[in-house]
Amino acid sequence: MIGLVSTIPLFLIAGVDPVAAFQQIFSVFTTISGITESVTRSIPLLLTAVGLCLPFKMGFWNIGAEGQLFMGAVAATLMVLIFPESPAIVIIPLMILFAFLGGGIWGVIPAYLKARLQVNEVLTTLMMNFIAILWVDFLVYGPWRDPQGYGFPLTPMFPPAARLPIIPGTSIHSGLLMAIASAILVYFLLSFTRWGYEIKVAGESQIAAKYAGMSPLLLTLLTMFLSGGFSGLAGMALVSGIVLRLRHGISPGYGYTAIIIAWLARLNPIGALVVGLLFGGLLVSGDALQIGLGLAFSTVLVFQGLILLFVVGADVLTQYRIKIKSG
Amino acid sequence: MSVVDSSFVISLLAHAVQAGTPLLLATVGEIYAERSGVLNLGLEGIMIMGALSGFLVLFRTGDLTLAILAAALVGALLSLIHAFLSITLKANQIVSGLAISIFGLGVSGFLGKPLVGQIVTRLPPAPIPLLQDIPVLGLVLFQGDILIYSSIILSVVLWFVLFRTKLGLNIRSVGENPSMADSLGVNVDLTRYVCVLIGGVLGGLGGAYLSIAYTPLWIEGMTAGRGWIAIALTIFAMWNPLRAILGAYLFGGVIALQFRLQAIGIGTETPQLLLMLPYVVTMGVLTIMSFAQLKKRLGVPAALGTPYVRGE
Repeated sequence: MIGLVSTIPLFLIAGVDPVAAFQQIFSVFTTISGITESVTRSIPLLLTAVGLCLPFKMGFWNIGAEGQLFMGAVAATLMVLIFPESPAIVIIPLMILFAFLGGGIWGVIPAYLKARLQVNEVLTTLMMNFIAILWVDFLVYGPWRDPQGYGFPLTPMFPPAARLPIIPGTSIHSGLLMAIASAILVYFLLSFTRWGYEIKVAGESQIAAKYAGMSPLLLTLLTMFLSGGFSGLAGMALVSGIVLRLRHGISPGYGYTAIIIAWLARLNPIGALVVGLLFGGLLVSGDALQIGLGLAFSTVLVFQGLILLFVVGADVLTQYRIKIKSG
Repeated sequence: MSVVDSSFVISLLAHAVQAGTPLLLATVGEIYAERSGVLNLGLEGIMIMGALSGFLVLFRTGDLTLAILAAALVGALLSLIHAFLSITLKANQIVSGLAISIFGLGVSGFLGKPLVGQIVTRLPPAPIPLLQDIPVLGLVLFQGDILIYSSIILSVVLWFVLFRTKLGLNIRSVGENPSMADSLGVNVDLTRYVCVLIGGVLGGLGGAYLSIAYTPLWIEGMTAGRGWIAIALTIFAMWNPLRAILGAYLFGGVIALQFRLQAIGIGTETPQLLLMLPYVVTMGVLTIMSFAQLKKRLGVPAALGTPYVRGE
């Protein structure tokens, strides 16, 4: 809320009536088309944020979801390019599997460097984002470019079989079901398995984890494989559900937004679903502001940064809450 | 043939110094913040806001001094937010820094939109008489601009302060063992605030160098990860401002190399692989440094990233 109010000066600086701006934003949350679009936009956010709950819980700062998402999209697209003729029942599971692998492997590299050599994971995961984005650009400007694409940096359109089916009765693609299933799976893993318990112990204290006989290497690798894998799925959901091809700039920073979502949801995967849907609405609002009022899309980033700043600050205040004891 | 080669090398080296200057300023600033125990991951956001405010003020007023001051001021303000959150509120430094980076990238894109495509007169070169006539070195180093010279002098001065003065000893002790420093009468919070502010000012200046000297244009996201590379460089420099000079120019060289290679026709079709170079090199350097680090602690401040609470 404070985040919203504090953007008013920014609208004024840009010469935009704040009332008109907020009207645009609210229309997104109150119309059927606005909500549908928000849900669709949130799907990659949900998958990524759910995945991020795992490494963050163990104190591994995976800032690389963006790159893991791109590598998932690459792996999914690779399947379409290799098997263009196969029926949906074959190609969709293949794309899901390889997207998970692609993102997962991209996530395992910094995990290995961290667990083995103590290489700072914030920096390595970030560097790998830049590399993954450039790798996608290389593919779509170079070897994977559509010969009939008039020189635009994109692959040919996916055949209908390689597109995620629409959930009957809506216009939302079935990536939403993947996101919900992932959230339940991660919730189950964290709450009811030994492995989830180990993640939490490692997050509290690396030393305690070591004395409890855990293998930090294995734990980090597995956690980051899953986290990267879910981001990879997000990449698949993007290319197969929305963009329907691989092209330059498929994600406007979903991987970074997902960090904020996971943090706001207090690393609870089910909570991440709720917060993620709100952020989907925020992204659609950003589009509306851009088209309706000619503002830069980065307005959304301002919102997100402010929200995160306030949450970081407020987190501390809640830790030091005054307790009134009765008796 | 040999003439082409030597001119290629000299132009590469001169470009390396230019490309390295924003990195040097940001790295030396981050060294101060980290030496005092505060990790500032907001550097990318600070640099891009420095780039924007420098460009904006230069575009509006045409006054280079004002532009440089504005960038320093904006960098200081942003770092003040981080300092408040991480020192006074003792918030999570990683999340606070990330928030500032996201915020800075957002605000700069938002406010910079009308500036896209505008051009300003760049910071003019100021060759140093006599020194510029030294073969090779003169061309590489002494035909630069005022910010290049200042960044080198500043790095040396800040090295001297950090390692040869009482103040520097205080800063390092706050980063190594804050409760010990506190008991010896050093004001831990104040020292950290000052160091984070120094980091913000230099980060803002580094960003401004990009937009008013290196490429006098405003492009959204023009820092392209340089803030993150600078944080990696603090590790490479082992938190030592003198080594930062070497590291920054080395990375400047990597950035310069990709452009020079393109200029002679390598990778013009798909430049993306060449553009990956700085990021790949950063990862490589981090890995090598960690190998070395495992054998011997190389200057990493012991209290880096942990808030100081009295009585813990």
